[in-house]
Amino acid sequence: MVHLDAGYNLARWLTHDASDAQDVVQDACLRAMKYMDSLHADDGRAWFLTIVRRAFYDWLARNRPALLVHDPESAIDALADEADNPEQALARKIERLALAEAVAALPLPFREVIILRELEDLSYKEIARIADVPLGTVMSRLSRARRLLQASVALRGLGASSAGDGA
Amino acid sequence: MNCDEVISLMGADVDGEVDALRSHALRKHVAGCPACGQRVEAQRALKQALRTELPCHRAPASLRERVAIALRAQVPAQVPAQGHAHSPAQSRADRRWRWFGAGALAGGLAAALLWFAGSLWHPGSFGEDLPTRLVGLHTGATLGHRLIEVASSDRHTVKPWLSARLDYTIPVLDAADAGFTLLGARIDRLDGRPVAVLVYRHRQHMIDVHVRPLAADAPPADVSVVRGFNVAAAQGAQMSWLATSDLNAAELAAFVSGLASGKLGPAGG
Repeated sequence: MVHLDAGYNLARWLTHDASDAQDVVQDACLRAMKYMDSLHADDGRAWFLTIVRRAFYDWLARNRPALLVHDPESAIDALADEADNPEQALARKIERLALAEAVAALPLPFREVIILRELEDLSYKEIARIADVPLGTVMSRLSRARRLLQASVALRGLGASSAGDGA
Repeated sequence: MNCDEVISLMGADVDGEVDALRSHALRKHVAGCPACGQRVEAQRALKQALRTELPCHRAPASLRERVAIALRAQVPAQVPAQGHAHSPAQSRADRRWRWFGAGALAGGLAAALLWFAGSLWHPGSFGEDLPTRLVGLHTGATLGHRLIEVASSDRHTVKPWLSARLDYTIPVLDAADAGFTLLGARIDRLDGRPVAVLVYRHRQHMIDVHVRPLAADAPPADVSVVRGFNVAAAQGAQMSWLATSDLNAAELAAFVSGLASGKLGPAGG
């Protein structure tokens, strides 16, 4: 059940909620059956994740329209309203959180690329197709997301030494 | 390449998404620039932390049931309109394809839908749950610094340590001749039972090998990929052998089948 797990994982990270994630995945499975013709043998997981993502944004529009942000810039602004430099303000906010919480606090456009890249191990090309953005945008969003997360890693002293396997 | 270019490219480079030429130029700059060296190292540390620390949520059983029921309800409505399903190229290598595709290959869409729904009820024993759990154990152990409970490269130390804690014994091989260093062992719980884990190192790669008595549902020799880790299975000496590592699939598969058949380095007993 790699695909259902992958789909659920993405939905869970996007919705922040187990039962909302189940609604999204169920909707995605029903859509998947309808769009089966568009499935190619080599990209089953990416194909299913594309559908899960679309189902999520539709769910968001129905249930939390206020959270629907089309512009990544404004996504950052919306989360960090107190300061003149929203990105710095968000970075400071993220600094105080453990890594998983810091990821959960990322604005959607950044959270989805991090999850697809680090948890689902998809290539930039696959992510570009799933998120329906150019390759360069995947790269810049990932790099920006990591910059925001980097603060939290540095703060907790996760250096190179503990990242390796040691021996 | 200058520092600004390195900063804009290093994330993609750590992801393996930069072409060889630019990747080489980047490495050349980093070798002579301590500041960029630190930046790249920080990228690596973050990536590693994300991969090991972020919870990977697994679909709960209740979701599988919900989806299966919802899909079954769709079957009668869909079949007459659709007729025969498309026939995509068959790819034996791609196990993932089975999830959606095997039914469609077998015949009409009705079969596809039923198979699809059925697969949600009965997830297969391999290519699905087990490798994911093994990767979870592997990354959990690496992160929690409990990779090894008995540290010894001497199989005559490791084997009795394991035997004293399990209701079965396993052959422990010293695979140093083949380039695999035995670091020690630990016990993991897998499917509710304690299972022997041999820990080897090959170059920079840590390898967990879970060994348990062969059961009817033991996976055949195969490799699956979960979150960038490879899980290679083999059977031999009445045991099921499962190696988990970030080592490449070919070497890992060769190693685990060598362990299972006892043909790696001097035979153990």
